[in-house]
Amino acid sequence: MSGMEKERFFVGNWQLADAGLPLGVNSSSGADQLPNSFVNLGWEHAMRQNSHAHIESALSSLVSSPSFNAPAGNDSVVIRELIGRLGSICNSGDASPSSRYHSPRASYYSTPLNSPPKLNISGADHQQQGMLVNPTADAQFELFAESAASKLGFAEAGKLSRVSSSQSLAAPSGKEVTVSDAVMEMPKFGRGRVSKWPPPEASSASGKLPAVVAENNGRKRKAAPKGKGKASPSSSLAMDPPPKEGNPDSKRRKQAEASAADRSPTVSKPKTEQNSSDDGQKPTENDNANPPEPPKDYIHVRARRGQATDGHSLAERVRREKISERMKLLQDLVPGCNKVTGKAVMLDEIINYIQSLQRQVEFLSMKLATLNPQLEFNMVCLLPKDMHQADVPLPQQVFPLDTATSPFSFAQQSLKIAETNRFNTHAAKNQLDSSIQLPPIVGLTDATNYLGNSDKDDLWYVIQTGFARSQEAPFSPQTLRAE
Amino acid sequence: MGVIDIMDAKGTSSLGNPNPNILTPHPSKSSVAIRFLRVLSLVRHTASSSPSSRACRIRRAACSCMAYSAGPRRAWSRALLRKLVRRRRKPPRRDLPRPAAIIRRRRPVGGDRLEVALRRVVPGGAGMEYCRLLEEAADYVKCLVMQVRLMQSIVDFESHVHSVNKRSEIDPGDRN
Repeated sequence: MSGMEKERFFVGNWQLADAGLPLGVNSSSGADQLPNSFVNLGWEHAMRQNSHAHIESALSSLVSSPSFNAPAGNDSVVIRELIGRLGSICNSGDASPSSRYHSPRASYYSTPLNSPPKLNISGADHQQQGMLVNPTADAQFELFAESAASKLGFAEAGKLSRVSSSQSLAAPSGKEVTVSDAVMEMPKFGRGRVSKWPPPEASSASGKLPAVVAENNGRKRKAAPKGKGKASPSSSLAMDPPPKEGNPDSKRRKQAEASAADRSPTVSKPKTEQNSSDDGQKPTENDNANPPEPPKDYIHVRARRGQATDGHSLAERVRREKISERMKLLQDLVPGCNKVTGKAVMLDEIINYIQSLQRQVEFLSMKLATLNPQLEFNMVCLLPKDMHQADVPLPQQVFPLDTATSPFSFAQQSLKIAETNRFNTHAAKNQLDSSIQLPPIVGLTDATNYLGNSDKDDLWYVIQTGFARSQEAPFSPQTLRAE
Repeated sequence: MGVIDIMDAKGTSSLGNPNPNILTPHPSKSSVAIRFLRVLSLVRHTASSSPSSRACRIRRAACSCMAYSAGPRRAWSRALLRKLVRRRRKPPRRDLPRPAAIIRRRRPVGGDRLEVALRRVVPGGAGMEYCRLLEEAADYVKCLVMQVRLMQSIVDFESHVHSVNKRSEIDPGDRN
């Protein structure tokens, strides 16, 4: 089948297809009663390839055709049709079922909702039709259809058709890859969209379809760079040159945060439009912190409007966005940075803040150092009191210190105190700013003073083990004896 | 002072903060508080009586507490600990895992004055990419704030206790 032939199919379908009408009415492919010549085209290509291929082409064709002249009001119906067709394509190996399902589905779809579609509806629909539903594929299709449908009604039909035609024309080798990519990406794409369907803005909706389609385009281009040449000649409309399109598409789409919420979706540049609208629709999805990671290791990036779309610029843009995101985090942390705009000034503020914090730590440590001796001195006489406090029935660990020498007993006491200490600090952790039970700590310090100042490591180890494990009791006598 | 060695050995075991997010929510203040209080108590009975050296130790202890609560996943905590350990001129008992920053995908360029300054301020900031640097800086700031608040509260409490003790010294028998 020649490209021009397919083009004619597309054109014919556009002219005839209305939102409410089943698209298959216009099908001129004689082979089957396919409601959709797009589907048919996909069949012809994909019959030789795996099922994904024709799914993808069918998807693109389905997506493109209704978008051409589907007014916003009939979106839901068209979407249902799409979903139904997708399901039919997925499940049935031949084209006839699609036609079979088409009319009943049309009527079925008309009844439910303009409310956000439940995928179950389509799924149930499929099941009602008795189709063997491959759940994953079906879900994928539904998601894709949903996301595609969300863009309905706004895209340039012509461009879309061109794109879809080029897609169907794409080389078979590229198809599998791109189809799987598209299918895999669509769930990710659609997942974010489920809650937002129908799309809040028309602009975003319009952008998405060409985005998806062009993305498939680009991906195919990447996989099989031969078919893209056809895209440009086939498209007489004002589409961006395919190479330009392909390169940014060759990078995976990334849920760019800061990107194009401010872009205006214009018709002239479908690529940029799709990018902008796509990004405009996706800010909330991006807030999911990129949870649906692409199956490959790419970082999905979108070329923005009016910006270079080569690989380097895209990588730089990704990096810049990451940096800006981090800067925002820092801005929230550092007080007084909200009013400041500009990276340089903010960085300066951050550096100053960190330096001031470090200076504060140093100053406070000095203060603690000077403060301690006095406390220690004062606390010596309070040691008995602290020890009494330590005898409070807490979940203490008894250290079987056999030695009866006073230092060891003191150590035992101090360990108990330390235990109490820990308990107290634990209890007081929520009120750190309020009084902390420090006397036990000081008591411990004084107690350990009697043990001598040597081998603080061991003492520390003792304390640590006392806190950490009760089984470490054997250690304590040894370490204490070592002192 | 073997504090850092011990903490080196035990710090990671007591830490359980597997947060892959950019800004990991720190373990609660309690872990830092407990650790710091222990270290403080240990430092207090240090032989060296000069306040400056003790202040030095306390500061190092504070930094190490901070670093340990942050976890070995943060590059700045590892770098800080390495620095502290090196300063004591004792070989670390356990080799901390080499940070991923060693794998330098991008050579840090010292062109931007601010970036260079930030690298100097944040421990371990020399070998990181810019993105990573910002991440670590945010985490470091959070830790620093927590540490400062903790130390401030300790100081306040101790000064309060000190005043109470002073009062109680007048009446040794009367205590609470």
